[in-house]
Amino acid sequence: MSIATEREIAARAKRPIRFGVLRQMVDRRSDYLYVLPALIVMMIVIAYPIYYTIELSFFNTPSNLQMKDKVFIGLDNYARILTSRSFREVTMNTFIWTVASTFFAFLLGLGAALSLHREFLGRGVLRAVLLIPYVVSAVAASYVWKWLYHSDFGVIGALAVQFGFTDRPINFIDNIHTVLPSLIVVNIWKEFSFAMIMLMAGLQTVPDQLLRAAQVDGANAWQRFWHVTFPHLKGVSMVTVLLLMVANFNAFIIPWIMTSGGPAGASDIWITQIYTIAFGRQRYGLASAYSVILFIVMMTLGYFYVRALTRGDDTRVK
Amino acid sequence: MSMVSTAPSRRRRVKIDPWRWVGRIFLLFLLTFTVLPMLWMVLTSIKSQFAAMQYPPQWWPAEPTLQNYAKLLDPNGSTGQEFLRYFWNSFYVSMVTTILGVIVAVPAAYAFSRFTFPGRTFLFFSVLLRNMFPSVVFLMPLFLLMRWMGLVNTHGSLILTYLTFGLPLSIWLLKGFFDNIPIQLEQAARIDGATRFQAFFFIVMPLSTPGIIATSIFSFIGAWNEYVYAYTFLSKQDSMTLPVGIQRFFTEFATDWPGLMAATFLMSVPVVVLFLVLQKYFVRALTEGAVKH
Repeated sequence: MSIATEREIAARAKRPIRFGVLRQMVDRRSDYLYVLPALIVMMIVIAYPIYYTIELSFFNTPSNLQMKDKVFIGLDNYARILTSRSFREVTMNTFIWTVASTFFAFLLGLGAALSLHREFLGRGVLRAVLLIPYVVSAVAASYVWKWLYHSDFGVIGALAVQFGFTDRPINFIDNIHTVLPSLIVVNIWKEFSFAMIMLMAGLQTVPDQLLRAAQVDGANAWQRFWHVTFPHLKGVSMVTVLLLMVANFNAFIIPWIMTSGGPAGASDIWITQIYTIAFGRQRYGLASAYSVILFIVMMTLGYFYVRALTRGDDTRVK
Repeated sequence: MSMVSTAPSRRRRVKIDPWRWVGRIFLLFLLTFTVLPMLWMVLTSIKSQFAAMQYPPQWWPAEPTLQNYAKLLDPNGSTGQEFLRYFWNSFYVSMVTTILGVIVAVPAAYAFSRFTFPGRTFLFFSVLLRNMFPSVVFLMPLFLLMRWMGLVNTHGSLILTYLTFGLPLSIWLLKGFFDNIPIQLEQAARIDGATRFQAFFFIVMPLSTPGIIATSIFSFIGAWNEYVYAYTFLSKQDSMTLPVGIQRFFTEFATDWPGLMAATFLMSVPVVVLFLVLQKYFVRALTEGAVKH
């Protein structure tokens, strides 16, 4: 089979209905060879676990993990999760964690991108330094921040005393009121530069002439941003916010290493909860049901993600 | 420049842009926010344990020492042996993952970029959707699967997992690079008698080197930093990778904070260096897809 020419591709795109799908598949069987290795690996490691998680969510699994002894219990796992008291608290924490992290990371990233857009000496170095937290492992970040927050020898507490904000070092992560905000700060530190880099790329698509024209017409800085720059950033912002939300939803390392959900569950989010149920209490069935609930939420976000991506595609084609 | 000479020029300027100053101050704030934690990590790592556990803290180490680093890197001491073992494990797993990832992702991405076959769109979005799922959700079934395959406590379990979870992104990135290579180049090669594979291998591959580099650093950094699977799949000391290793290592007895900070520093060095050297590719990999597609 030869490589499709552009005319062929165009003709194919125009063809209104696909007929004889099976025949096409047989015709193009050699094309599948290229995707086959990727497909096989992904079938084993992705498709099978998804299927198995859904299956397990309807079973009561024994704690010794002998899966042949599992008992079918229908929707009991789901009912138990949704009616439990801790579910509401954990969901609230997850919501605060995800939304606050995403919001502030995006805001800081946007500010950084706008400030870095103009060429100046040391701009490249500054961008690189701001990106380092995004590159280093979350494990390293968690330990460093744990040390910064340390209740007796932490530098943040000591600085607060030094500048006269308090008279005693603050106990950030052993206090149920301050623990979640403290973890969110770490998360923002880790990921704001991701938003920055995405938005910087987005800013490159804003035509300079348009900004200059607006300036000539007497638009001030804010008006130029709001009416010219921001509309061009909409697509990128959408994708960035969704990717940040997904990442935050799935963030496990920072809460797990810093607090493991404590104290008294004050920093427990869905992910840490699932991990505790599965590997602390060895109740795979219950944890699977929890995972399926999370799946559903992620699928909803995923739908918007794909839509945001493909919409950009359409406009480019047109 | 003296005041006398600058004063008139300042008066002549139309106006000072206040937004530029807002931007500068904001950047200064962000720089402080970013750098201070890292600086404190380094400062702590060159203190003795006694000097680190003081209140108020020594803002600048009174007696800087490299003993924490020496201890970690000493191949004869027990601490050093363990640390170097973890370091090597991390390096081995990340390296194998990266190489295998390129071998599998390049043909797949090429197919996605060049061929039209039924199910292509579906395949592609299923590839993308994988990015949406949290790793913790895959843990339980994968753990059972690895146990069944006898891979628990082996590096094979990690490589297989990282490889798969890196694939969607790698394919997505590489497809973007292949899309930018004109198809006419391959057609010319084909006319000159090259087979399709030859055209792919000798024409497309060399041109997509930046894409392959970008994808490689991405999967290397991802594998190097991964924690959740390593934490669950590995329980034997000598197979552990760094992120898991340093944890077990320092919380067994009272935490040795300066030692831990030195370890996190050493752990960050490879990825930060890799990032700084290949920054251009890394940034491109990060923004490709979202902005262009």
